[in-house]
Amino acid sequence: MSQHPKRLLDWLSRRLNLTEVFSLLTSYGFFYTEIDSRKPLAEALEEALEKPVPSYSNWPRVLGLIVLVLMTVEILTGGLLALYYLPTPQSAHASVGVILQDVGFGALIHQAHFWGAQMLIAVLLLRLGRFFVQRVYRRPRELVWVFGILLLLVSLQADLTGRMLPWTTTSYWSSVRAIEVLATIPVISNIMLFFTGTSGAFLSEVTLIRGYILHIVVLPLLAIVLIYFHFSTVRRVGLSGEASTAGMPGRRAFRAHLASLAIIFVLLLGVLITLAVLAPEPFEIKADPFSTPPGIDPPWYLLAPFGLLEMTADFLPRWIVGLVMLLATTALVALPFLSRSQTDPGASRRPLLWALAVAMVAVWVVLTLYGARMA
Amino acid sequence: MTSRSLRILVLSLAGIACSLPSFAAGAKEACGSCHPENRVETEPSVHLAEGVTCVSCHGGDPESLRVETAHRGDFRPLTNRLQSPAMCAQCHSDLAKMRPYNLPIDQYAIYLTSQHGNAVSAGDPRAAVCSDCHGFHDVRKTTDPLNPVHSANVTATCAGCHADRGLMAKYDIDPDVVAEYRSSVHARVLLDERNSAAPDCTSCHGSHGPTPPGVGDIDKICGSCHTKTRQAFLDGPHNQAMLDAGLPECASCHSNHAIRRFEVAEIESLCADCHGEGSEQAALGAKFTNLIESTREELVEADGLITQAQRVPLNVEDHIGRLEEGRTFLTEAFPQIHSVSLDAVERVTRRSRSIGSEIQHELYTRLDRRVAHATLAVFWFYLLMTVAILWRYRQKLAAAKNEETT
Repeated sequence: MSQHPKRLLDWLSRRLNLTEVFSLLTSYGFFYTEIDSRKPLAEALEEALEKPVPSYSNWPRVLGLIVLVLMTVEILTGGLLALYYLPTPQSAHASVGVILQDVGFGALIHQAHFWGAQMLIAVLLLRLGRFFVQRVYRRPRELVWVFGILLLLVSLQADLTGRMLPWTTTSYWSSVRAIEVLATIPVISNIMLFFTGTSGAFLSEVTLIRGYILHIVVLPLLAIVLIYFHFSTVRRVGLSGEASTAGMPGRRAFRAHLASLAIIFVLLLGVLITLAVLAPEPFEIKADPFSTPPGIDPPWYLLAPFGLLEMTADFLPRWIVGLVMLLATTALVALPFLSRSQTDPGASRRPLLWALAVAMVAVWVVLTLYGARMA
Repeated sequence: MTSRSLRILVLSLAGIACSLPSFAAGAKEACGSCHPENRVETEPSVHLAEGVTCVSCHGGDPESLRVETAHRGDFRPLTNRLQSPAMCAQCHSDLAKMRPYNLPIDQYAIYLTSQHGNAVSAGDPRAAVCSDCHGFHDVRKTTDPLNPVHSANVTATCAGCHADRGLMAKYDIDPDVVAEYRSSVHARVLLDERNSAAPDCTSCHGSHGPTPPGVGDIDKICGSCHTKTRQAFLDGPHNQAMLDAGLPECASCHSNHAIRRFEVAEIESLCADCHGEGSEQAALGAKFTNLIESTREELVEADGLITQAQRVPLNVEDHIGRLEEGRTFLTEAFPQIHSVSLDAVERVTRRSRSIGSEIQHELYTRLDRRVAHATLAVFWFYLLMTVAILWRYRQKLAAAKNEETT
């Protein structure tokens, strides 16, 4: 009996380069080293498993793994939701209602998709925090930082478009608020307003279908490409920190690594399902474009720019605040190239940069609180 | 005739033509040339729109521009108020003229029976005539919101005389009635909430023949809108008792002009006003309050649960319909209080309350998350077991590695 799978593999490997297919996994971090795709799979694996294993699973580095796992969860749950979701203003709300009420495990999958996205954004932020503290943006890891920021921006955009899809009162009006904030950014806003298909005052069926395509096609693809680039960078410049291939040689260490991965996956799934069961996102009534309910916030990550806009509404034109947002984001992406310490990897901690970072986070928190009070 | 004298003739004819602007503009009447302000006043009137012009009421020669010739023949300045009702009635009591507009023709006949009409017949120039309420040059349709007798304006129109202390003193009429009405629940709904379904002065008193309803008739007037309340009141003991005592039925508690809507909590003290504190009747009033408030609480609780369930979401269409039914039963309790029959009030509040508690019971069951939480606990148990196994496996690998190295 045990001969059958082996014979099937033989049959396949004579017709398909299995090693090449398998090597895709290395591009997404599920396998730690490059695989020689010229050799048969068994032989290539044998060879790869004998190579020393980098210390993958030490604690700070777990954040990147969690990002990967959450991204997979989002794609799987999102794919299931897409089987029932209908992206038109007439039927979107009702179809989400069907998912929540009538489809088996629909509510659980819907809530897991929502909470997975919130956790993903939180983990991406923590990961950037780790990069900053451990100065992972220094030469030669500038691109690790840049891809990290871009992945965060893509995820935020995915969250923004995803919030709109259920077409409930809160989702609709919080999207309108978000568009109002983002429409102040010079240049970028013109591109963005094309995707909203409106002047920003209300959302149409064009907004919904474009948002949906962004949410299920464009942004996931961008995220996959960014993760691929991230691992390509890591394979080229190596992991940061201590000597990355120290200790743990060979097959056994890889099994331990897989066990850690499984533990993380199981715990993450537990947290996700617990959040989905204990703190479900309420399903509000269908949006009415002609009646704005009171007390609608933009999404939490846009509260700070919203607060800044409200604070300066009386004495600054809106586009200046938009320009500040644009410059701040650009500066964040370009941090590796702005920081002089990258030329000197051994340079001591820079108090000025630290003070600036702490001040920026403090300003962000204050503006978020102000924005939450104003909305 | 020379060409020169022909030219003079043509020019002078042209000059005459130009000196008659109103004729040139196509108007048939020249009255407005001397009375421009009256012409402007008449413009919005329904009379002008239907071809009733100056001469229809005032007579005279409408084509003449000279006072002597214009104001001759049957010309009437209509400065005598006492003659004006009969003047209006010439058309408004004429069936042939009113038929096309589907207007009644009995207003003048009714007016003559009223206090206003009697006073005018007796030669009292201060009594109200048609134009005091309807206006004269700018008479509008009653559905026009600018009409002084439109439901939004009629209170102010009546107040023009009935809030005038000097004038009312001459007739020994209470001048505070308008202020009292303004404080009533009816005025609040009609004038503040702008709901034209609420009654104005004319709803109870009539319009052309205003008459105050007397004791014994008040329940009929109020009952024309509050039908169920009247029925319950007639079924109860109060109606006969009040008639015997000469007390106005509804107005004894609710007042006549400053009509009050009582809060549920006030019922007991209302009963005590006549029956005395601590009386059996006051206790019954307190019972009514309890019945209604407890029913209301049940419905509020059920409503809250429905909102909560909608956000889950659960299908609550049926519950929403039943809640509405429960509210209808509660609304029926208010008329029933007027029968002062505990049975009648209990009959409707019991049904309402049972609907409320039924909805609550069903939704509490459906909103109950205990099963979900228990499942979550079991799920975590297996989850932690899996983690423990994986952890052990990892430790074993580490131990094996240590053995290898040593």
